Amino acid sequence: MNGQPLHGAYDADNRFIAAHHLPAVLIDLARSRGIDTHHLLRGCELFYEDIVTGGALISPQQFLRLIDNARRLLSAPDTSFLFGQRLWPGHYGPGSQLLEQADNLQQALERLGEYRALLSPLLTPVMHLDDRYLHLYWRDSCGASEQSTFLLEASMTAVVALARRQQNERLPWRFQFAYAEPAYVEQYWVHLGDALTFDRPSTVMSVPREYLLRPWPQAGSTGALVARQSCSAQLHAWGWQASFLDHLHAYLSQHIRHPLSLERVAAAFETSPASFKRRLGKHGTHFQEQLDLTRRDLALYLYQVKGYSNEEVAQHLGFSDITNLRRSFKRWTGRVPSDLGGLLYG
Amino acid sequence: MKSMLKMHGLTLAGLFLAANGGVMIYLAAGTIKYWADINWMDVIGEGGTCLILCVWLVMLLRGRPAGRVTRLLSLGLCFTAFSMWMDMLDEFIRLPPEAIWDNWLETAPMPVGMLLLTLGMYHLQQEQRAINAQMSKREQLFREHRLFDTLIPLAGAQYLRQHLRQALEQAETEQRPLSLIAIDLDDFSQINQRYGQAEGDQVLQVMAQLLLFNLRQQDMLCRLAGDRFVAVLPDTGESQASVMAEDMRQSIASLAHRTQRYGERLHLQATTATIMALDEDEAQVLKRLNTALALAKPRLARSA
Repeated sequence: MNGQPLHGAYDADNRFIAAHHLPAVLIDLARSRGIDTHHLLRGCELFYEDIVTGGALISPQQFLRLIDNARRLLSAPDTSFLFGQRLWPGHYGPGSQLLEQADNLQQALERLGEYRALLSPLLTPVMHLDDRYLHLYWRDSCGASEQSTFLLEASMTAVVALARRQQNERLPWRFQFAYAEPAYVEQYWVHLGDALTFDRPSTVMSVPREYLLRPWPQAGSTGALVARQSCSAQLHAWGWQASFLDHLHAYLSQHIRHPLSLERVAAAFETSPASFKRRLGKHGTHFQEQLDLTRRDLALYLYQVKGYSNEEVAQHLGFSDITNLRRSFKRWTGRVPSDLGGLLYG
Repeated sequence: MKSMLKMHGLTLAGLFLAANGGVMIYLAAGTIKYWADINWMDVIGEGGTCLILCVWLVMLLRGRPAGRVTRLLSLGLCFTAFSMWMDMLDEFIRLPPEAIWDNWLETAPMPVGMLLLTLGMYHLQQEQRAINAQMSKREQLFREHRLFDTLIPLAGAQYLRQHLRQALEQAETEQRPLSLIAIDLDDFSQINQRYGQAEGDQVLQVMAQLLLFNLRQQDMLCRLAGDRFVAVLPDTGESQASVMAEDMRQSIASLAHRTQRYGERLHLQATTATIMALDEDEAQVLKRLNTALALAKPRLARSA
């Protein structure tokens, strides 16, 4: 059912997100707080009447605009958390069924990554397992810029709420955030938990591995098999599984030791440098930024998950010497590798 | 806007008719001035005041519930606005010098309006006192309506922080203990899942009311976030606060809340935590309170 890998990618302006699925959760939340749908959908090129027909499709850009509107109109610090609590499994047909009837948390997270075009089109979940912990990162897949904190809060809350609901217990999650403690930190306490560290190099949530394989109540159902087939069929109909930025990130990670330039990468993506640049601009980014992000992610992974030394990281990333690596690392994360600290202890 | 016209149509129509009548009378009695004779400074001063008074009138009528205080204030504004309007008209219209009645139209409404406004302000003050009494336990030390919670008739976390800063200072200078209680519903997300978000909101509102009953006059209750509430207890030691916290927990456990739609009985349970403020700032106090609550929380979710 997962024959050949899909080579296509979605852009921020491809209309494929069913408006009555994920976006409707946010719309309903705003409606329940007395927000007028006309105000909410202003600038989204979308009408409530169209959503109700079930045929309206919107692009990641439109979804981001909707999030921006909802944030401003609701102007309450708990919007992202309430949205996150209602997000998964949700009522999105086979995609939701996959999550709800997963065998365990690990499988649910794997499915979430595999079918993110259906379940999490704006943020890509990235799982790293070390010998004791699962570390879950989130990568921006469509150029969220200002909405990225909202999306992080919502997605993290969604995973916490999903696991808690299915396993009927509070998991001992630990969180690190790449930003300063927000003024509304009490929302983090209530919706995520109290093991929080701010001002860290990356945003990541971790949980001991023994919680990953606890059986979920509807494990091994035949329905989930069928649901997975129909999700795969949907991806094949689109011809993509991941976003353009995801593909770029994957390509850059794979070729990180080679000299990488806009021209070369554009050639690998079978397009001209000018249109490649345009495509990046559409996502509010540019080549050097993506290259730095990829290197930063890789460096953090090698240091924190793999426990590599400076020499090994420098060699892996193709740096000629450690001084260079340290200087670049400082530029990416604002700190030197030696005061990185572990993933679990601030 | 529609409802405002319906409720206060008479007041607004009265002002409009009076203003029109004023124009008619002046036009009938006097002659229009030449362009060069008009003193524009006066026009701007008097006309501008009249306009601002009308804006105040609209804001007042839109913002306040109808009633005696609103009626007094709006009538007062109508009279003063009318007086300014007539004042401005005689910049455009020259009246024969023998007419003395115009003074009555210009000047007389002003003291009447001022009198009505004063009477209105007096009653406004009385009204505010009555409302303050109703707001006790939800608001103390200062008011900032922008910090009210959007869902529950309580103040939110930002208000709590500012209140706590002042309360800590006060406790410090008076050398008295200050304690805090955190109250958190167990399995609130299950209520949301099973009965819907509207029912969850209802539970929070009921819980806020119930907790208010359990507090003394000098205490203050805020909604921190989600289903977590914080009570600030001035002049209270930790053991007394623990007793109050236990009372709150029990009163929530024995609350017979029934759902709005089908009237099913919901069994609510809460976890509480109590701390006494030491030598620390409001952020540290809240953080410690939160940690205490996390330790008190049951790990396993309650089944069924």
